[in-house]
Amino acid sequence: MTLRAVRFGLVSALFAAAACGGRQMDVGSTPVAAVAREAAPAPEADYWVFVANESSDLVSLVRFGPGGAVLERDIKVDLKPADLDGVHGVAVSPDGKHLYVTVAHGTPFGYLWKLDPWTGERVGETTLGRFPATIGIVPDGSRAFIVNFNLHGRPVPSSVSAVFLPAMNEEKQIETCVKPHGSRLNLAGTRAYSVCVGDDQLVEISVDRLAVTRRLDLNSVTEGRCGPTWITPSADDAHLFVACNKLGQVLELDADSFEVVRRLTAGKGTYNLAASRNGRFLLATNKGEQSVSVFDLTAGKEVARLSTTRPVTHGVVISPDDRYAFVSNESIGAVPGTVDVIDLGSLERVASVEVRLQAGGIDFWRMENSEGH
Amino acid sequence: MNRTTALSALLTAALTLVPGSLLAQEADAEEALAQLRASATVESIEIVPATFRLTRGDTVTMEGFLKDADGNRVEGARWGIGSDDSVFDVDAIKDSIPDTYLVWGTGPGEAVMSVWILRPDSEDPDNPASTNWERQFDIEVVVDEWPAASIEIDAPEYAANVGATFPIRAAVLTDRGTKHATAELAWSSDNPDVLAISHDGVASFRAVGRATLRVRSEGLEQSRTVEVTASPVRSLAMMPTGASVRTGDVVQLEPAVLDASSNAVQGVHIAYLVNAIAGPSGGGTVYDDGAFVAEMPGTYQVVAMVDGQSASTIVSASARPEVKPITLLGRGPVPHVATSDLWVFEGVDGRDYAYTGTHAQGGGERMFVWDVTDPASPVLTDSVVVDARVVNDVKVTDDAMVAVITREGASDRKNGMVLLDLSDPAHPKILSEFNENLTGGVHNTWIIGDVVYAVNDGTNALNIVDISDPANPKDLGFWEVRPGEEDKNLHDVWADDQGLAYLSYWDDGLVILDVGNGIKGGTAREPKFVSSYAYQTRHGGTYGNTHTAYRWENYVFLGDEIFGCGECVNGPRGYIHVIDVSDLENPKEVAFYKVPEAGAHNIWVENGRLYIGYYQAGLRVVDVTGQLRGDLYAQGRQIGWYETTGAEDEAIVPNATNAWGPHVYKGNIFVADNNSGLWVVKPEWNPELVP
Repeated sequence: MTLRAVRFGLVSALFAAAACGGRQMDVGSTPVAAVAREAAPAPEADYWVFVANESSDLVSLVRFGPGGAVLERDIKVDLKPADLDGVHGVAVSPDGKHLYVTVAHGTPFGYLWKLDPWTGERVGETTLGRFPATIGIVPDGSRAFIVNFNLHGRPVPSSVSAVFLPAMNEEKQIETCVKPHGSRLNLAGTRAYSVCVGDDQLVEISVDRLAVTRRLDLNSVTEGRCGPTWITPSADDAHLFVACNKLGQVLELDADSFEVVRRLTAGKGTYNLAASRNGRFLLATNKGEQSVSVFDLTAGKEVARLSTTRPVTHGVVISPDDRYAFVSNESIGAVPGTVDVIDLGSLERVASVEVRLQAGGIDFWRMENSEGH
Repeated sequence: MNRTTALSALLTAALTLVPGSLLAQEADAEEALAQLRASATVESIEIVPATFRLTRGDTVTMEGFLKDADGNRVEGARWGIGSDDSVFDVDAIKDSIPDTYLVWGTGPGEAVMSVWILRPDSEDPDNPASTNWERQFDIEVVVDEWPAASIEIDAPEYAANVGATFPIRAAVLTDRGTKHATAELAWSSDNPDVLAISHDGVASFRAVGRATLRVRSEGLEQSRTVEVTASPVRSLAMMPTGASVRTGDVVQLEPAVLDASSNAVQGVHIAYLVNAIAGPSGGGTVYDDGAFVAEMPGTYQVVAMVDGQSASTIVSASARPEVKPITLLGRGPVPHVATSDLWVFEGVDGRDYAYTGTHAQGGGERMFVWDVTDPASPVLTDSVVVDARVVNDVKVTDDAMVAVITREGASDRKNGMVLLDLSDPAHPKILSEFNENLTGGVHNTWIIGDVVYAVNDGTNALNIVDISDPANPKDLGFWEVRPGEEDKNLHDVWADDQGLAYLSYWDDGLVILDVGNGIKGGTAREPKFVSSYAYQTRHGGTYGNTHTAYRWENYVFLGDEIFGCGECVNGPRGYIHVIDVSDLENPKEVAFYKVPEAGAHNIWVENGRLYIGYYQAGLRVVDVTGQLRGDLYAQGRQIGWYETTGAEDEAIVPNATNAWGPHVYKGNIFVADNNSGLWVVKPEWNPELVP
């Protein structure tokens, strides 16, 4: 063996070690409470989701269908290849014609990009605030409310950017609180909600007035610090679900009074939430324990806690037909993240696909059956 | 399948799911539905005011009135506007007045505002997701400069002697005291036989006498009377004579301007021009201060003119010595992950090491350790894994006992930096992690003694960390430009043994800090501001993008980095600006080095040679000895290059050069290539280039 070959052998061994990393990648599922489950039939349609890979500056398109889940393609969201631009949030317009992504690291302000989801072509952009993250879009597709997370900046109030999407015009930065995160709209499209990681607030913004209308100090309704990371309305807009990351708990609030209706115990590091359109399920990612909690909202119980395929479980989105949930897992270091597919009938993980580094923000694009509908 | 529940369905749900407890949700759903239905009746929109002409800094309240086919006002329908933000900005003030925006002029000029209205789907009018936004029309917005308030004409900069020709400076000032951005000056002279002036203010002093110059602009007028005197100049001679130099060598011309008593005349204007006698026209440049430099070999006549008299000298410029090729000595290919910065040093065991960081592509969680004692055969001895996706920078303390590596993309979002114990430099061990106030990540660092300067990705400040106890680093505070303002971006820091630190502050340019020099009373732990130099680089637009800095002798070599520009068809752009800092408090740009169609990245300067990792242009080496002026590339000062192009199986991106940065060590050049790993190349300098 030549010296060159020896050197390459050593390099290969080191690289192989890097690829494994000695990290636990998969464990089984843990039923939490009895629930009527159906066997998991194969999907009859193809389901497409986009997921943002924050440390690859790529947005991956994942297709889940009768043949399982596959990574269809990547869209490059890369301003400066020499730096991490940090694509973080991803949202599809209600009509499915545009894909919006937040780019966290500018020089210094971040961006909202508007992309053609079919080609990946950038068709618009606007500058936002520091470290823009989650995107919420009103049902008519006219406005986005984007939290300027400013995660690593000084602990001073940041803002929510209101962007008029047809013209990609940032209309206003609405000052809210310290480290706002988890922007979501009610289904009527009249109220934009976000929570504040830095000072534990829930903030409600009037979509028409572009102004803060109400706030709630979440610590006033919890025992111990909430550390909120996400908020989402219920299917009927009557309730709000708030992920208390530091408590491993989901608060269910009355949307009118902000009074706590229920407290749902989730896993460690509860992070993102998604509610099914039929009002039955709420899913919570548990970032600190590589799992997803599935709550039956009718029963008010956690009916399953499903392990995910990679650690640092991040985002979750439910298909419009309420059949499947798609969960992103960031993973650690050089090990790529994954998107797991959960069958909401059988409450099983039925597929998983490896995507890119630090898979985070996730949104549903479209579904199509064999007839192309 | 449509992904959005129709509002009418939502309304139905609100009424049926939990009857009796959904008044607010009913109201919301009804409101949304009403907006959609109102939008369906909209035929046109009227914007008031109809035209926008405002003064910079002023605001105008804008309202939109939606109308149906009969011209009746439609309440509650949706509309919106777009702006390109170039000369005006728009802020919604809907929190106080519905359908109202505030438009304010941010700078003089003209731009367009677009007006949009919502068109529901006639087939599915209650479905918000089945709507279209139509651009109705555009409105031109004109923003005027602040009103002109005065005109100032400077006194002639040089002696107003018969025979002289030089510009007179004048400026229109606004009522805010700022220089008017758009005013044009109209010059005249009441006595052009004595003093003639061109339309752009170049004065020709023709005869002894008095003349009054007038400037008119923006309805204002100002005048200055000038006494034109006889020139005292009786003789003019050019020094040196018959200079013979190489291209790129600066010849400082010193004309001898004497009066009748053979005394030197001061304060006169000296105009220069250059004429190519043998060689290409335009192959040489003479600057206003009398510095001449040739870009092409040839014979040049350099002429000086003072008060109508002229003298010239001949400068012969020969080609710089032939460049000898740089050859490959050794390779440390990294085929599975992108490579970032490197550091090469002698370890405490007496062997030589190169540490290379890793970047995001492939997962930059690692620092590789190469034994390069035999630089022809780098041996990978180990690697250090940290929780990161980019280990951008690697630095080693002077005593070779501690390495500092940076982290970005940590899974817990607590990035900062990691300190390594180099007791066994072939197998470094993690000694400590430090992320206090640095959770956003650290892009670059520099070490002075037991102090680390860290570029804080989260705040864009320079954080100062005490590593005197490297197992327990301590936060010493931070320094930043424009405290309290967010719009800044720190990218790199470098310091020299003179107690000065050079910060690359993107659009704020180069910032020089006293970190122990004493010029401003600064110390390593409490830096003090010395000076700054900001510039604009034009590559299809205006950028600052100051990315990296390195001082050698009287010059700071400043690199900018430009991605995404219009002409970036084959990758980045950006080049090296040469800043003369001989007067530390007044840095000035004197020269530049620019490889066509490529972008500069990290640099190293040693023994009069500038080494640049020039991304797609590979390693470039430039002779920066002596005085520098003008276009160093065109002058032939480039003395070496090497394409760090990795082959298949030896690069994460094969057959594509992407030189990241160089490090000169023991006569060899170590280069990190982002696509292919570590390269060791050996220069064979032409002896004539040795400074």
